[in-house]
Amino acid sequence: MRLEPFDTQRHMVFSRRATLFGGGATLLFLGLASRLYQLQIHDHVNYKALAEDNRFNQKIITPVRGEIFDRFGKPLATSRQNFRVLMVPEDAGDVELVLNEVADLLHLTDKDLKRIRKEAARQRSFTPVEIADNLTWEQFARLNFLTPQLPGLHSEVGATRSYPLAEAGAFVVGYVGAPNDRDLAKADDQEKLLLRQPGFRIGRAGIERTFEKKLRGEAGSVTVQINAHGRVIEEYPNLANEPVQGQPIGLTIDAELQAKASAILADVNDDGARLNVDKHELSASAVVMDVHNGDILVYASVPAFDPNEFNVGIKQSRWQELNESPLKPLLNKPISGAYPPGSTFKLITAIAAQEAGIEPSHRVTCRGSLWYGGVEFNCWKKEGHGTLDMRGAIKHSCDVYFWDLAQRIDIDKLAEVANRFGLGLPHDIGLGGQVAGTVPSRAWKKSYYRSNPAQQTWFPGETLSVAIGQGALTATPLQLAVMVTRLATGREVHPRLVRYQDGRGALDPVFQPLAMDLSELDVVRAGMDAVVNEWGTAARSRLDKPEWRMAGKTGTSQVRSLQYDPVTGRRLKNYELPWKDRDHALFVSFAPYDAPRYACAVVVEHGSSGSGMAGPKAREIMRAVLTKDPALKSAWSPPLKPVKTVSRARTDRPAGIEGGRP
Amino acid sequence: MKSVLLPEPRGSLLTAWQEINWPLVILLTLIAGAGTATLYSVAGGSWSPWAFQHVMRFTVSLLALFVVGFVPLRYWLALAYPAYAVALGLLVLVPIIGEISMGAQRWIMVGPVQVQPSELMKVAMILALARYYHGLEFKRVSNPIFLAPPLAMIGLPVALIFKQPDLGTALMLGASGVVVILLAGLSWRVTIVGMIAAFAGAVGAIKMGLLKAYQIDRLTAFMDPEADPLGSGYHLLQSKIALGSGGLSGKGFMQGTQSQLQFLPEKHTDFIFTIFGEEFGFIGTILLLSLYFAVFVTAINIAMRAKSHFGRLLASGLSISFLLYVLINTGMVMGLAPVVGVPLPLVSYGGTVMLTVMVGFGLVMSTWINRDQDTLRTASTIRSL
Repeated sequence: MRLEPFDTQRHMVFSRRATLFGGGATLLFLGLASRLYQLQIHDHVNYKALAEDNRFNQKIITPVRGEIFDRFGKPLATSRQNFRVLMVPEDAGDVELVLNEVADLLHLTDKDLKRIRKEAARQRSFTPVEIADNLTWEQFARLNFLTPQLPGLHSEVGATRSYPLAEAGAFVVGYVGAPNDRDLAKADDQEKLLLRQPGFRIGRAGIERTFEKKLRGEAGSVTVQINAHGRVIEEYPNLANEPVQGQPIGLTIDAELQAKASAILADVNDDGARLNVDKHELSASAVVMDVHNGDILVYASVPAFDPNEFNVGIKQSRWQELNESPLKPLLNKPISGAYPPGSTFKLITAIAAQEAGIEPSHRVTCRGSLWYGGVEFNCWKKEGHGTLDMRGAIKHSCDVYFWDLAQRIDIDKLAEVANRFGLGLPHDIGLGGQVAGTVPSRAWKKSYYRSNPAQQTWFPGETLSVAIGQGALTATPLQLAVMVTRLATGREVHPRLVRYQDGRGALDPVFQPLAMDLSELDVVRAGMDAVVNEWGTAARSRLDKPEWRMAGKTGTSQVRSLQYDPVTGRRLKNYELPWKDRDHALFVSFAPYDAPRYACAVVVEHGSSGSGMAGPKAREIMRAVLTKDPALKSAWSPPLKPVKTVSRARTDRPAGIEGGRP
Repeated sequence: MKSVLLPEPRGSLLTAWQEINWPLVILLTLIAGAGTATLYSVAGGSWSPWAFQHVMRFTVSLLALFVVGFVPLRYWLALAYPAYAVALGLLVLVPIIGEISMGAQRWIMVGPVQVQPSELMKVAMILALARYYHGLEFKRVSNPIFLAPPLAMIGLPVALIFKQPDLGTALMLGASGVVVILLAGLSWRVTIVGMIAAFAGAVGAIKMGLLKAYQIDRLTAFMDPEADPLGSGYHLLQSKIALGSGGLSGKGFMQGTQSQLQFLPEKHTDFIFTIFGEEFGFIGTILLLSLYFAVFVTAINIAMRAKSHFGRLLASGLSISFLLYVLINTGMVMGLAPVVGVPLPLVSYGGTVMLTVMVGFGLVMSTWINRDQDTLRTASTIRSL
C-alpha cells in the first residue's frame, strides 16, 4: 500500500476550483433572487394589471333592433323569433357525421356544406358555426328531438327582422342585411365586435338604412373570464351592461292604405285590358300626401320585392330575376323614377303665363296643329279644340293653347315657377337614392352641354316642348305630388315620411304661403276641377260622393317620337306598340276640391294613357283614402315600454378579436 | 499513516445506513413535495394526472437513491465505463427506434417504460469523466493528448442529442462535462483557447444552418420578449406576467389565474416554477431557491470531503450539473436565460429526469458514505500492483 503523492496537487486544484464554482453559484443564486425581487415586488403592480388584462374580456350582447311603425302604430318592421342551429366542432367530434344527420332535415345544399366546413376549419374548434337559420317550427322541433344524440349541436332562438307589409312596404322601410367588409372597414373596434356577432344585421335600404343609428340601439356587454385560447371560462352577469333596444321610428305612412294602393296599382282594370296592358307589364307608382302637414300617407311602387327575402339572404337566381326585369322591381320609383310629366306640367305653364302677364281669359283657337319655325306641331286632338280660354285649355289639355303661351314665356321664368312648385329639386324625406329630375333652363343647357359650346344656346322652339311637359323635362312621382299639394294649398309644403323619432312625435309644421300672387292658382284649380267633373279629359275618374269632389290633371308623356305604320303611313296607336315604346300615363289630383286634404300623384310606366290607366287608379286610391280619411284621425305614439334584452346565446365565443394565442 | 495501510473495511449495510446524509435526503424530499403541490394545483386541484405519479416516482427514485448510495463507491468506479457505454448505445438507438414527439426523437421504449437516454447520459458521462481523471496523473491533465478522450466522451453524446434535436439538453450536457474537466484541473490557458475554439465552432454551426429556425428564435427571444408578444417571446412574457402578478406572498395555493387559465405552455414541465411563483409569491420562490441552494452546498461539501478523486469529481460534477438545471430553468422563466426546454429537477413532471437526478444523488450519497476511502482499490488489487 502506498500513498498517491500526485493526489495532493490535484486535490488542491480541485478544492480551489470547487470553491470557485461554489462562489459563482452563490452569485448566480443571488442574481436570481434579485430578479425575482424585481418581478414579484418591484414591478408587481404592472404585472398584476397585465394579468387582469389577460383574464377578462367583454362579450357583446346584441341589442334588439328598434321597430318601425305606421302612423297608427301598425308594425312595418319588427323583430320575430328566428330558430337557428349552431354547431361547436370541438364538441361534435366528427363534423361530417353530424352534418350527414342533419343535412336532409335542414335541406342543406352542397354550398351550405362547403361554407360550414370552411368556417369550421378556419375558426377555433370551440367557436360555434351557424349551420342553418330561419328554420320552420317543425324543423326546429324535429331538430330539438335529435340534438341529444348529436353532441355539439345547439338550437337557438334569435331575433330576425320581419316586414309584415312585405312588398307593399319594401321601398319605404327598406331591408337589412349582414354587414360586409366595407361596413367593417368603416367601423371602430367596439363597433366591429358588434358587427361580427352571428346573425347581426344592418340597414341596407330605406328607413332601415337612413335611421340605422337610431334603430340599432346600444350593444350590451358582459364581463367574462377567458383563458389563453379565448375560451370563456366564466361569465359575470352582475358586471353586465344591458343592451339598449333601438328606438322606435314612426312613419307617416298608413299601412292599410299603402297595401290597398299597392294592390290598386298592380291591378289591371277594364281600362288596362282595353289598352292592351298585360298584368306582367304593370310598372307603376303612387304618392298620396296630406296637403296640410306634408305627411306621405301612401308611398307605393309596383312591382316590388319582398324585403323578408333580402333579410335572410336572397337567392342568386331570384336576385338576378329582380335585377333584370324590365319592370324594374328594385327601383324606388316614387323618388328614383324620373318621367316626363307630360300634360300635368301644363298647370305650371299656366301659372308662368299669368306671371308673364297673360290673363286667364286669353283665348286661342286650336285647329289641331301649330306651325312654328317651319315645323308643324300637332295637338293630341287632330280635329282641334276650337277656341279655348286658360281653364278650358287645362280641362281639355289642349297642346296648341300651351304652345301659344310658350311663345310668350321665357324658359327661365317657366323653370323658376317649376322650381317653386317643387320640381327639379330633391325633397329630403329620409330615403336614399332620390333623383332631382330635370327642369330645363338656359343655365341648365349651358351646364349640360358644357363640353360642346355649339349646343349651349337655348332655342325658343324648345320652350314649346317643355311647356307641355316634354323635352328634357322630367319629374318624379313624389315631386308631382308636392307640386299638386302646393297648387292645392298655395303653401310651400314639404313632404315628410317620419313623424315619430327620438321618443316624440313631430309637431305639424306650419308652411309659408308661396311667394306669388295666390289668385293665379284659381284658374288652375278650376281647370283641374273641370278635367274630372265637367267632362274634361278625366271625366271617368270622377268620385261618386259630391263631398269628395276630386280635381286632377292627366298626363300622357311620349317616351319616343311618334311611330307610323311603314305601309299605310298611319300613326300607330299606343296599344299597337311594344310595351317599352308606349307613352307613360300620369295623373295628379287633389280632393276635396273645396277644402283640399289629400294630394295624389300616379305614374304608370308605359301605361299609354293618363286618363285611361293613371286616372282610374288615382280615383280608386283617393276613394280609399277619403273613405278612411286618416288625416282626421289622431296619430299614434308608441307607449313607453321597458327595454327588451335579447336572450343570450349559451355558447362560448371568442370574446375579443385580440384573443389569445392558438 | 496507519489506517490507509490497512485494507478498507467492506461496508456493511448497517454501517452504510448509519452513515446516510439525512439533510440531503430531507432537502430533496422537501423539493419534491413542493413539486407535488404545484402539480396538484396545475391539474386544477387533482391528484391526477400528475401529482400522484410524481409522488410515486419520487418514492421509487428515493429507493433508487438508497440502493445506489449503499453500493460501495469502488463498484461505481468499476462500472463507470460500462455505464457510459450502455448510455451511449441507447443514444445511438434513439434515431433508429425512438418515438417522435414534439418534433424530436428523444424517447425509446424499454419494455413498458419510456426512457430518455439523454437523461441517463447526464449521469453516465460524469461517471465516465470522473473515472478517467481518477486514474490520470495531474501533470497530464492539460496535455492535449490526454484531453482528447474526455472531449470525445463529451462530444459524442452532445452531438447525438443535438441531432435529436434537443439543443437545451445538448448544451447542458456539454457544459457539465466541461465543468468536470475544469474541476479536474485543466489549465486556464488551455481552457481559454478551447472556449475561443468552441465559440468559433458555434458561430460556424449557425452559419451553416445546423440550428433550426425555432431554436435561433428561442435563443434570441429572451433578449426582448415584449417586442414580439405573440411570437416566440409570448410564453416568456406570459411567464413574467404570472410571476410578477404573484407579488410578495402569491395568489395562494390553486389560485394562480394565469396558470389555471392556460396562458402558459408546458406548465407541468418547463414552466412549473412560474406556477409555483404565481401561487406562492416571492416568499415561496426564495424558499424554493434556498432549498436548491442548500442541496447544492451539501453536495459540494460532500465532494470537498471525499478522499478519492473519483468521489470528488463525481459528487461535484453531479451537483454542479444539478445546479445548472436549476439556474437555467428558473432563469428561463424569469427571462434571464433563453427558453431551451430544461426541466426543473424534482419539481417538473417527468420520470426519467426524476430517476436520473435521484440516482445522481445516490452516487453523491455513495461518495459520502465512502468518503474516507482514497484509492478505491481493494487490498488484493493493491497488492498486485
